[in-house]
Amino acid sequence: MRCGMPAVFPAPAPRRAPADHEKGSLMESFIQQCVNALQWGSFYALIALGYTLVYGVLRLINFAHGDIFMVGAYIAFFLSTGMLAEGGMFGFSRELTLALTVPLTMLLTSCCGVTLERIAYRPLRRKGAHRLYVVITALMCGLILENGNLALLGASRRALPELLDKRIYSLGGIAVTNLKLLVIFTAVLVFVFLHGIVTRTRIGMAMRAVSYNRFALPLMGIPLDSVIVFTFVLGSGIAGLGGVLFAMSYPVLEPYMGAMTGWKAFIAAVVGGIGDVRGAFLGGFLLAFVEIMVAAFLPSTFRDLFAFSILLLILWKRPTGIFGMPLTTKI
Amino acid sequence: MALLEINGLTQRFSGLQALTNFSFSLEERELVGLIGPNGAGKTTAFNVVSGFYVPTEGTIVFDGTPIMGLRPHQVAGLGIARTFQNIRLWNDMPVLDNIRIAQSHWLGYGFWGAVWRSARYRNSEAAVEKKSREVIEMMGLNDVADELPKNLPYGLQRRVELARALSTSPKLLLLDEPAAGLNSADVDGLIKHIRWIHDSFPIAIWMIEHQMKVVMALCRRLCVIDFGRSIADGLPAEVQANPDVIKAYLGDDTL
Amino acid sequence: MQRYTINIIFLAAAVSLVAAAAAGLFDNYILTVLMFMGINIIFASSLNLVNGHMGEFSCGHAGFMCVGAYVGSLLSVVFFTSNKFFGDPLFPPEAAPFLFPLVLILASLAAALFGLIVALPSFHTRDDYLAIITIAANYIIISIVENIDAIGGPRGFSGMKRTMNVMGDVIHLPWMLIWVLIGCFVCITVLYRLVTSTYGKGIPAVCQNEVAAEIMGVNTNKVKIMAFMVSSGLAGMAGVLYAHVYGYVNAQAFNILKSTEGLVMVYLGGMGSISGVILAAVAFTLLVEALRFVIPAANDLLHIWGILPASSELSQIWKWVIIPLILILLMQLRPEGLLGNKELTHVFPRLRRWVSFK
Repeated sequence: MRCGMPAVFPAPAPRRAPADHEKGSLMESFIQQCVNALQWGSFYALIALGYTLVYGVLRLINFAHGDIFMVGAYIAFFLSTGMLAEGGMFGFSRELTLALTVPLTMLLTSCCGVTLERIAYRPLRRKGAHRLYVVITALMCGLILENGNLALLGASRRALPELLDKRIYSLGGIAVTNLKLLVIFTAVLVFVFLHGIVTRTRIGMAMRAVSYNRFALPLMGIPLDSVIVFTFVLGSGIAGLGGVLFAMSYPVLEPYMGAMTGWKAFIAAVVGGIGDVRGAFLGGFLLAFVEIMVAAFLPSTFRDLFAFSILLLILWKRPTGIFGMPLTTKI
Repeated sequence: MALLEINGLTQRFSGLQALTNFSFSLEERELVGLIGPNGAGKTTAFNVVSGFYVPTEGTIVFDGTPIMGLRPHQVAGLGIARTFQNIRLWNDMPVLDNIRIAQSHWLGYGFWGAVWRSARYRNSEAAVEKKSREVIEMMGLNDVADELPKNLPYGLQRRVELARALSTSPKLLLLDEPAAGLNSADVDGLIKHIRWIHDSFPIAIWMIEHQMKVVMALCRRLCVIDFGRSIADGLPAEVQANPDVIKAYLGDDTL
Repeated sequence: MQRYTINIIFLAAAVSLVAAAAAGLFDNYILTVLMFMGINIIFASSLNLVNGHMGEFSCGHAGFMCVGAYVGSLLSVVFFTSNKFFGDPLFPPEAAPFLFPLVLILASLAAALFGLIVALPSFHTRDDYLAIITIAANYIIISIVENIDAIGGPRGFSGMKRTMNVMGDVIHLPWMLIWVLIGCFVCITVLYRLVTSTYGKGIPAVCQNEVAAEIMGVNTNKVKIMAFMVSSGLAGMAGVLYAHVYGYVNAQAFNILKSTEGLVMVYLGGMGSISGVILAAVAFTLLVEALRFVIPAANDLLHIWGILPASSELSQIWKWVIIPLILILLMQLRPEGLLGNKELTHVFPRLRRWVSFK
């Protein structure tokens, strides 16, 4: 069920055959695929950032994060159909709808993430439960989100109304839509913003401190719970943003869309070295690049096989990812 | 031929040189102390000997066999047992099981033996059981044999760890700060135990210890290490008077 | 005498079950539920070896079941049935009931070999990273199977029903039930004997303090390989049985959701408790089957009371909301599971008079 994904999963990129067989068409198609990989990687990066933030602070794999991304996409759908002129309640223009949908979705998705933290993770943390129990709870929360959605809203797929006029820029034979540019720029911007927060601000310092020693933090007068809530707000907000952009790019919303994308984004975060913001960003693009290239030049059924085998190899050779610190045991 | 021969041992971690050209030898049935300021490289020396680290340079020969690069369980099989600075028992298994598992290296059977309950399995388990009971009896742990180590007081946990190390029938016992965290009554008991072990078994003991009371009561020879180098080796009284040792502990006051 | 109590009870129960089934006392549905219960017991208790005793977090256990299911199905079709791909059966049909164990063993061995995908990285990795490797292994296995067109690819593979028919023609007995019961017995015996031996106690030693285990003479790498291979091999056996009970396999039946079912059973029963996980597997199977009836009943009731508008319908999907919810509540209220890491005889000491767990 959950992995019946490939059938309904949107193809990562429109595979367009080169129109004419002039020289360099292979090169052009390669560059075209690179652009697609950048867009696809942006989604992975946006979700992976959320995984890595929560892991970096709490040492918790928030398995529900992919489904929070799905919730974000659905929130965006309901908000924009509700606000738009055609049949909507408010009859806003498309520009205004887009301008309102993005911040509102981010806000509501963060609320969803924080709610999970409050009702599911925090009580366990307070009790000092083993990390494993929290991970299982997260896995189960993800299942509830996706299956709850399926049970409540049904399996019918939904499409986000078009909020952006599609424009195609052609740069030397390579077609780039304004939406693609928007997605890529947003991802880069979010990364810069997050990296700034984690490395430059006081709250970022507090977040890093939590990851080193959660028990010493309250003794130093830092409000632990606020730091954790802030982390969830950031992570879920970014997932919500990713959800909006995803829904705009691939107008196929269905309850399991977050599961597979979430797992893949998680892989990206791990390959980069989970807990490190740079790693998540880089890992997202790396994974997307591999997937798009495999899909472009091999039968697309090999995509998952390659993606996961690469993960396995990387983890085997470098168990903590590209940017991860090596694990050491001290006697 | 000495039981343990360490020659020119150097251990580098990325950027840090924990041991520099460290040489040391230990005769059979000797009881030697290893002392030095914090961070001098004492535990690193133990970790290298027990196979937990592979030395960057140098040789270690134990009982005629070079043991550099062997996995820790192979080293244990050759007859080196150790205890840990911060106790490392298997906390959710009874004391008896803790001692049984430490004899894994000479179990004569594998997975199929265990599943089939072969004759070899039965003999081997019986021998393990017998040996474990002996050690428990010997170390006075009879009353706690079925308790979980985590529920025992600290002093008893140390004793269980010592019993576990002994149950492997080692030729060399490495004790990493056996008296750390014990009160003075426990320390007296520990001294008695170690002396008794040393007298009743053909075992060489090499111990790291900070408490001078323990060191002076037990060791007839001391090795002092500072910044990864051996700076003195000899009788306790000699070592105590050695100016390098005084400098290492008290600092250089010639400023 | 105490030593054999469990075996005798099991034998008696098994014989009476088979006799009842052969006499036609059970309808097909109950028979299937019973067999799935057995398969779940094998699946969950094999996962328990890794997740409970060794303390790793394997969440791709269904992948090994998938290997077992496909290898087993393929072998059974090649061995016992005539097929347009593989030609005439390799063995005479009369041999089927006696050679089926061979299928079970070979498929388990194949699954155990695939266990190496996880076992080898586990030398360097632990915890979260190993969990990810197990997930990756699950996806890789499914992906490999789906990419091999000869065994049906994404369409699945069938033909095992004929094997069952061949066996039924030789001697008329509920063969599948017998194999499931034997599988359960073998699985529990192997696990039980393993974890009570000094050799097998290396597994919890690796979990509780790996450094101490290695330094005190336990070959931790060997123990890890052994535990992962035993666990995945037994899962493979569950897979063969599953495939033959259904008569059809599809790689997507062994996805993460199936692995999650295993996790639910293990954590419901209590990590590291063989009897606890068996109880949990039975309880879980019954729960899933009960929900099959409870959800429509609740649906009707809500419609009658007018809480639910006539347009909407409570679907079976709610099962997958309710089961995770149960586990979340369990984690909050009793995170150690039904029995914790204890066995039944520890929780009810009086049982010890009758049964010996030594």
